[in-house]
Order: sequence, then C-alpha cells, then structure tokens
Amino acid sequence: MANNKEEIKELAEHIYDLDAEVYCHLGSSLGRVFNRDRERCVGELTDLLMTRPQGHIVRSELALIANMARTIEDREERRLCMAEYNRILNEVMSLPTSFASGDVIDPHLAKLNSFNLQNRFAGGEHLIICISWTYGSGGIDVGFKLADKLKINYYDAEIFDAVLKRLDAEKDSLRDCAGYTHVKKELNQNLSSMLLPAKRLTFKEKMREFSRYHGLSKRDAVFFNQSDLLCEMAQKEDFIIMGRCGDAIMTNNGIPHISIYITAPIEQRIHRAMEVNEGLDSKRAARLLKRLDREHSHYYRFYTSRSWGHANNYDLCINSASYGIDGTVDFILRMIGK
Amino acid sequence: MEKLMTVLESQGVFGLFNPAAWTAGGHIGAASVWLCLPFAGLLLCIAVLPLVKAEWWEAHQPHAVVFWSLLFLFPFAALKGVGTAAETVLECIVNDYLTFIVLLFGLFCVSGNITMSGDLAGSPRINVGLLALGTLLSSLIGTTGASMLMIRPIIKMNSWRHKKRHIIVFFIFMVSNMGGCLTPIGDPPLLMGFMRGVPFLWSLHLLPLLIFNLIVLLFVFYWIDMRAYRTDIARGLKPDIKKPGTEIEIRGSHNLIYIAMIVAAVILSGALPGLSAFQNEEGGLRGIRIFGEVVLSFSSLIEIGIILLAAWLSFRTTDGAIRRENHFTWSAIKEVAVLFVGIFITMQPALMLLKANGASLGLTEPYQLFWVTGMLSSFLDNTPTYLVFLTTAGALGFTEGMVTALGVVPVKLLTAISAGAVFMGANTYIGNAPNFMVKSIADENGIRMPSFFGYLVWSFGILVPVFLLDTLVFFL
Repeated sequence: MANNKEEIKELAEHIYDLDAEVYCHLGSSLGRVFNRDRERCVGELTDLLMTRPQGHIVRSELALIANMARTIEDREERRLCMAEYNRILNEVMSLPTSFASGDVIDPHLAKLNSFNLQNRFAGGEHLIICISWTYGSGGIDVGFKLADKLKINYYDAEIFDAVLKRLDAEKDSLRDCAGYTHVKKELNQNLSSMLLPAKRLTFKEKMREFSRYHGLSKRDAVFFNQSDLLCEMAQKEDFIIMGRCGDAIMTNNGIPHISIYITAPIEQRIHRAMEVNEGLDSKRAARLLKRLDREHSHYYRFYTSRSWGHANNYDLCINSASYGIDGTVDFILRMIGK
Repeated sequence: MEKLMTVLESQGVFGLFNPAAWTAGGHIGAASVWLCLPFAGLLLCIAVLPLVKAEWWEAHQPHAVVFWSLLFLFPFAALKGVGTAAETVLECIVNDYLTFIVLLFGLFCVSGNITMSGDLAGSPRINVGLLALGTLLSSLIGTTGASMLMIRPIIKMNSWRHKKRHIIVFFIFMVSNMGGCLTPIGDPPLLMGFMRGVPFLWSLHLLPLLIFNLIVLLFVFYWIDMRAYRTDIARGLKPDIKKPGTEIEIRGSHNLIYIAMIVAAVILSGALPGLSAFQNEEGGLRGIRIFGEVVLSFSSLIEIGIILLAAWLSFRTTDGAIRRENHFTWSAIKEVAVLFVGIFITMQPALMLLKANGASLGLTEPYQLFWVTGMLSSFLDNTPTYLVFLTTAGALGFTEGMVTALGVVPVKLLTAISAGAVFMGANTYIGNAPNFMVKSIADENGIRMPSFFGYLVWSFGILVPVFLLDTLVFFL
C-alpha cells in the first residue's frame, strides 16, 4: 500500500510537471490545467489516482494537457512532451482499479488532524487552532485564554485590519462579516442613525471601488485576502484564529490544524449576551442571536459549502455551558496534550 | 402547454422533418432525401468520434471530410451529371465557404493580436457584465468579431477557476449568436435581408426580444455561475488579488483598426452588389467566371481582399510576444476550415430540398416561421435558411408590412424569421461559424468543453425553454 502510494504520488508529480512544462513551452497567459501550487495539485491528483485510477477525471485532465501540448510550435519540444504524455497515459491505464482499504479513516483529513498524529508538530509545522463559536457562548474568551496559556498569537479583528491595509481600504467602507466585532457598534447605534439612507457613491467612487476590489464584491475580496494572509501566517507562526472560515481555509490549503466549535444552549447565550452588552433586553438578545447565527451560517456555507456548526466539520465540538470558560480552556489543553 | 403542443403539431412545424412532405411537392425527388445521409454521417462523426476515438479523429479529420463529401458527390454526379455536381460544389465553395472562412480567418488573426493583461478576477458579476457587453458588441462588429475579441480575455480572467465550461457555453449562446440580431453587420442572414431591401436599422425591432432573452439567460447564468464559483472557493481556489487596485493593460489595441476594416468589408459586401457598376446587363453579379454559372463576384473579391489585407497588416504590425501570450495557434482555425468545407458540401442536398419545398410547407404564422427557421438554422447554414423563408413569406401576398425585394413581409413574420435564424444558431456547435471556433479555442486552453451531444443537453435544457417563452410572449 505504502509503495503503491509512493508510486502513485510520483505519477501525479509527473502529470503536474508535464502540465507545467507544456505551459512553459507555450508561453500562454490564458491559464493551465492545474492552476494551483504543486503540493496541493499533486495531493489531489494522488487522491484521485488512489481511489479511481481508471476514472474519467484523470483521463480528461490528461487529455486537456495533450490538447495544449499538440499546439507547441517547436517540433522537438512537442515530440518530447507527447512522448511523456503517452508514457504517463499508459501508466495511468495500467493502474489497478482501487487501492482503498476497509478503514473508515480519511487519510486526507487524518493528515491534517493534530489529535490523530502525535508527531505532527515534530515536522516543523506550526500549531494552528481554528475556533468557530456562536455569539454568547464565550468562545472569544476561550480563544484568548487558550492563546495566553499556549503563549501563541491570537487573531480575530486583527486579520480584518491587516486585510484593510492590503486592500488600501477604509474601515468604515467594509463590514467584518466573518467575526462579531461589528455587533457592539451596531448595538450602540441609535435608531435615527440606523434609519439614515446609505451613502450613495458617485460614479468615480464606484469605479475606484471596482478597481480596488478587482471587480469582486467587497465581501469576496476580503475573504480572498484573509485566506491569503492566513496561509502566509501559517508558514511563519503558531496562532489561534477566531472564525473567518479558518478551518476550511486550512483544510483546503493542506495546512495541519485543530478545528474547534464552541457553542452553548440558547438560554445561556442570551444571558451572556445581555451581560456583555449593557441595556440589551432578553427579547432583543434572542433576536440578535438568531440573526447572527443566520448570518454566520450563511457566510460559512457560502465560502466553504459546509454547514456551520455541523459536528462532521470539526475535530472537537464543545458545549461551553458544561465546562465554563476556564473549564473549556483546560479541556482543550488536555485534549491537545499541553 | 396543451395549446402549445397543438400549435407545434400543426402541419408547418413537424411536417418539415417528414421526407414525404419533402418529396410530395419537391423538385428533387425521393432519392435526393437520401443524399442528405452524408451530411448526417459527417455530423455524427463530429459528435461521436472525439468521444470514442479522440486521437484518431484529430489525425483523420480531413480524411473523414473527403470521405463523406465524395459519398455525396458520386451519387449526386450519377443522378444529375458531372457538370451539375461540379457546379454545385464550386458554387458553395466559391460563394459561400470562401467568404465564410476568410472572414473567420481575418477576425481570428486580428483578435489573436490583441491581448489584455491585468488582475481583474473572473466572478459571477464580472462574467455577467462581460457577457452583456459582448452581446451588445456582437451587433456592432458581428458575432464572429465579438467572439474572437472577447473569448481570450474571458478565459484569462477565469483562469483561476476550475468549473468554467458553462461560461463558454453561455458565451456561445449570447455573444456568438443572439447578440448579432440588432444590425445586418451582426449576422450574415440579416445582411442578406439588408441586401433584399430590409432597412439597415430595421433589425432594431428585435431589441425587446434580445433584452428579454438577455435578462432570462443572464439570470440563469448568474445562478449557475454563482454555484460554480462557490464550489471553486470551497475547494480553496482563489484569484491572485494581493496587490491593491486593478491594473488592466491592453496591448495590440491598434488592431481594433483592422477589426473596423473587416467590419467595413462585410458591409461593403452587402452594399456593393446593389450598385449598377457591379451588375451585368442581365442584372447578375459581375465577377470572374470559375465554371459554368459559378462566378466569384467582384464585391466578394473586394471583401476577401480587404479582410486578408487587414490580417496581413495585423501580423506585420504586432509583436509576436502578444500572440505567444494569447496562446495563438492555427489549430482552431484549421479544424474549423477542414470540418466546415465538408459541412458546406454535404449540406447542399438539404439546402436544395429546403429551397424546393420551403414555400409549399404552408408556413404562415410567426411561431411556425420562428421554429422552422430556427431548427433548420441549428444544423444548416442560417443564411440560405433565412432567405428561403423570407422568400416564402414575401410570396404569401400580404399587402401590409415591410416592403422588400422579395415582396411585402409583415413585420411579425420578418421578426420571427430573423430571430429564428440568428438565435437558434446557438443550438449546436455547427449552428453558427463562431460556435465551433470558440469551442476549439477553449479546448486548447485548459477548459473541458462539452461534447457535441453534451452541448445539445445544455442548449435544449436552457435555450429551448427560453425560445418557448419567446414564442408565448412575442409570436403567438
């Protein structure tokens, strides 16, 4: 199995390299078949070859590379690329139909899961903890205290500020949809200011925004920049990231991490929301929580195609009402063996 | 629905596909129906062989074209005589295929010399904007011109994405076909109408129809593209937008002059034959006699000359690095040139049958003409199809409507014929010249395009319901 996997990974590397070579010979800027970084593409190809080596997907990806290779002008370069294509195709076709074992473990997920692999951080990877939480469950305090105990960086709104800097945008023009930092401000707004019509942009301002966000919506531009930033940071330091689809971003980019979801029964959350926001009555608190849950669920589903708060998506789901904030921190520390 | 089916079942729509209807009033006879088989055979090859024997098909396309062409030519020559057969083939090659392929070649060359670089990210709203822009551009520079000009920037902006074939499919629907309905420059059938006395700006009557279709299709597209976009994001794909601000640079923009030259050549080809200087004593076109009655007219020669000059100038004045960046190769135009010569030759019997029987089909209602012109334009050349039904409508003896050289045609009938010919070219890859070209360019640049049948699923799943809506809103 291990040998097979190594061989298949090598084959996947050859496929990726062939695509890169063809693209390089063509000098085109119109895109290529595997348009992401080598490691991820090779990983995905390996998975595809491991599970369905005769499947149509790998074959049609290969066919697309061949389409491009046939258009290489230099005859010798074209011949070499096509010879390599034929060799790879034969190898793909000669693979057995399946290498899957009967274990329920998903090797791809297990590789990313620090609970599973003791020597995970021995390889030099940084400790990254992604915490998703419902408003009023104390998740933010849990994250902060956990970072303090582990002596690692804690990121919440800081990420958003860094994104604003990258986008050269003003804070007032963007809303931090991925966190709860806007809640306090919203609650402090008086009714008359909420009823004011939104500022209408002039054509020039609209064009400036269009250019600033590369034609994307503000929310998408912020999300893509957040993703970039998180991936960059994951190469450099240990940290805890609060929300922002951090768990999905890490999974998609093959970055080992621990994903935790913290919530509590609605009564406790209402109670806590009223405690931290002076003057908020229980009726408004319940409405606020319902709206925030809906918004977060929608945001998470939009960018990850997963269900927010669904146990399948996390390594650990905790009811903070059972342990309290400090108890939850201790519980997590014990789980990760620190 | 029941009413609609009754309407469709009425003699005009389905009768056309019945061989008995062809032969009953036709001049060609039952045997000629079977001469259409090579055309069907060639279409079947185009549809099936890339799926089952892709490499063989790629290497043997010319052989297949020769095979099916000869399979039509030999029986046809035996039936009608060698002279008539030679004349038929030369007529279609000299007067239809030559101008068709030269126009495509010219626009392919010139647009390949314009490149857009920048970091605008392909997203649903950008794509909707580009499709809408391309659709409107089609009426100004023709469906082929707009397709060739816009396809590469669209591919480039969406290069970060994985699920993107639907973008090209909708591009074919809107930019390569529907957009051409507003002016005679947009699509050749309308140019033919212009040459037969339909005023230049009359096609603007189709604007409400185009806007209706545009809204429906863009709405559907946005929904599909948003789903695909979200799937891509969920897979971790993201555009490179690290730098604040978008920089867009267009290089080779001087080639827009050559596109204007080509558009002018197309307009001239429509306008010149009406001038007495280009007509002989009998009212026919002056030109070089090739064989029998086949004449390469001077107006066509001027069109071809201007287009080839534009292509040559474009190559002479543009840096080769731009073509390299655009992944400019000859494969796409070569494939189209080879396949379409076969399509043009083998579809002759079908066109003859249409010309012989079109008038006797009893088509008098707008919905009938919309669907029949459209469905035939999906597989045959839409220009002769348009002309046949325009002639049919002109001969119906109406006294009110648009006065053309072919008779008075009620505006509703003319609208139906024009819309059918232009819109339904999008139903298949071979329905309109740019369709196959766009597919080939996308295929070459890492986009897995649907097969011939796969594309039919898209067009029947999306376009046919839109056309049914058109029928209900505009033609009933």
